[in-house]
Amino acid sequence: MKNNIIHLENVSKSFILPHLKRTTLKEHFLSFWRKTKPDYLKVLDHISLTIPRGEFLGVMGKNGSGKSTLLRLLSNIYTPETGTIKIEGKVAPFLELGIGFQPELSARENVFINGALLGLTPKMIQNKFDHIIDFAEIRPFLDLKIKNFSSGMRSRLAFAIATQADADIYLCDEVLAVGDLAFQQKCLKIFQQWKQAQKTIIFVSHNPSLIEDFCDRALILADGKVKSIGAPSLITKLYSQTDQST
Amino acid sequence: MNKNSLLSSFSRNIILQLVKSEFKLRYQNSYLGYLWTLFKPLMLFGVIYLVFSNFLKSAIPNFPLYLLIGVIIWNYFQEATLIGLDSLISKRDLITKIDFPRATIIIASVLGSSLTFLLNLIIVFIFLILSNISLGLETLYLFWIIILLYFFITGIIFLLTRLYLRFFDLKHIWEVLLQMIFWLTPIVYDLSIVPENLQKFLQLNPLAHFINAVRMLFLSRQIPSLQGNLLLLFFATASFTIGYFVFQRQERFIAEKL
Repeated sequence: MKNNIIHLENVSKSFILPHLKRTTLKEHFLSFWRKTKPDYLKVLDHISLTIPRGEFLGVMGKNGSGKSTLLRLLSNIYTPETGTIKIEGKVAPFLELGIGFQPELSARENVFINGALLGLTPKMIQNKFDHIIDFAEIRPFLDLKIKNFSSGMRSRLAFAIATQADADIYLCDEVLAVGDLAFQQKCLKIFQQWKQAQKTIIFVSHNPSLIEDFCDRALILADGKVKSIGAPSLITKLYSQTDQST
Repeated sequence: MNKNSLLSSFSRNIILQLVKSEFKLRYQNSYLGYLWTLFKPLMLFGVIYLVFSNFLKSAIPNFPLYLLIGVIIWNYFQEATLIGLDSLISKRDLITKIDFPRATIIIASVLGSSLTFLLNLIIVFIFLILSNISLGLETLYLFWIIILLYFFITGIIFLLTRLYLRFFDLKHIWEVLLQMIFWLTPIVYDLSIVPENLQKFLQLNPLAHFINAVRMLFLSRQIPSLQGNLLLLFFATASFTIGYFVFQRQERFIAEKL
């Protein structure tokens, strides 16, 4: 038990379907008279999962199968409805396309804001600043507003900042999908480093070869449940079969 | 110390960076930048002065200054609450991606408005010089009143935000309410000119006490009495603690409500 860094037990999460969400006063008054029971969408349904320290876990699943919700729960952005989540370590922010940037501010300013949100002091950010900029390859665009960045540049910068957070657990969602080949190579190198440093990584991807190359274990999410979990080669095979059958 | 405490260095760094960006965001996209924020209360002051000075000039000594102080504090309250109410939504990208104390966003937003307010106070000082009113050491008392006012306003926004996450109409309702509060606060008039039973009712408005304290300081060189001080302190702590308590209970669910 001691070596488990993440422990999920019976975790569920559902969302009120947007069209029935009452957000204005008028809707509240109206629905006061006709009591409608709102529809809930169960995104995750009683999931239990233990992840040992240092594991590289691949997560596969179709769009809308709850992958992002799972990662958001792990990074404490969402609160589980039932069950408990125990995490013994620091979680780096969940990385997905266009991580939290302020579009109207320059890249330089966003580095400082994001750094602070990750728990870095201004001094630490200053020290790592050049490294971040070079890694993201955006030096000529430092004072350009983020809204004018291409999506590739944006996620390169996001990745570069997030890697500076000294965490025990990293959550990655398709970060590699947007970069060009050279950048993908860089990311893979970082993954290797994390692996060597015994970090725990949860990696969401649709790419079977990446899952097979890096992961120690993989799982498929479907209909809010862990449908299968096991060796990466087995899981990718299963995944491609179900993908074709539907 | 708990990482999510508002006093931790983690939260302090976030607040610092957010205030900086807040200030840039507000002024970078306009040619006149900060001058616009100066212009708004001055225009309001000008219009009210033109309309009301004939009735009230004789009743209130130093009416221009009296009015200006009221208008600038009012402008602070109005801007801070309106911008503060929107702050969570405008930082939505950060909230849905990173786990950090959400209250820092509101604290930083009101701090941003406070900076504007402090800059606006410069006009009051210019008016003071033009009116040949001398100031003494008691002026330093202003900072104490401003700090209490900051906590009072921040608490109000915590409460409003809690409601806002439930009813998105609140923004419109609040805009209407602000207009009512404006006339229920002795900004344009003095409490002494309203009937006595109404006076008691109007004195329930904390904002009236804050405005009055600043006016007394500048116009009569009087610092608030012990009783007056305790009252302001009470408004600030009650508003902030109740507001923060209510907000904090909801904090974990903010990401999914936005």
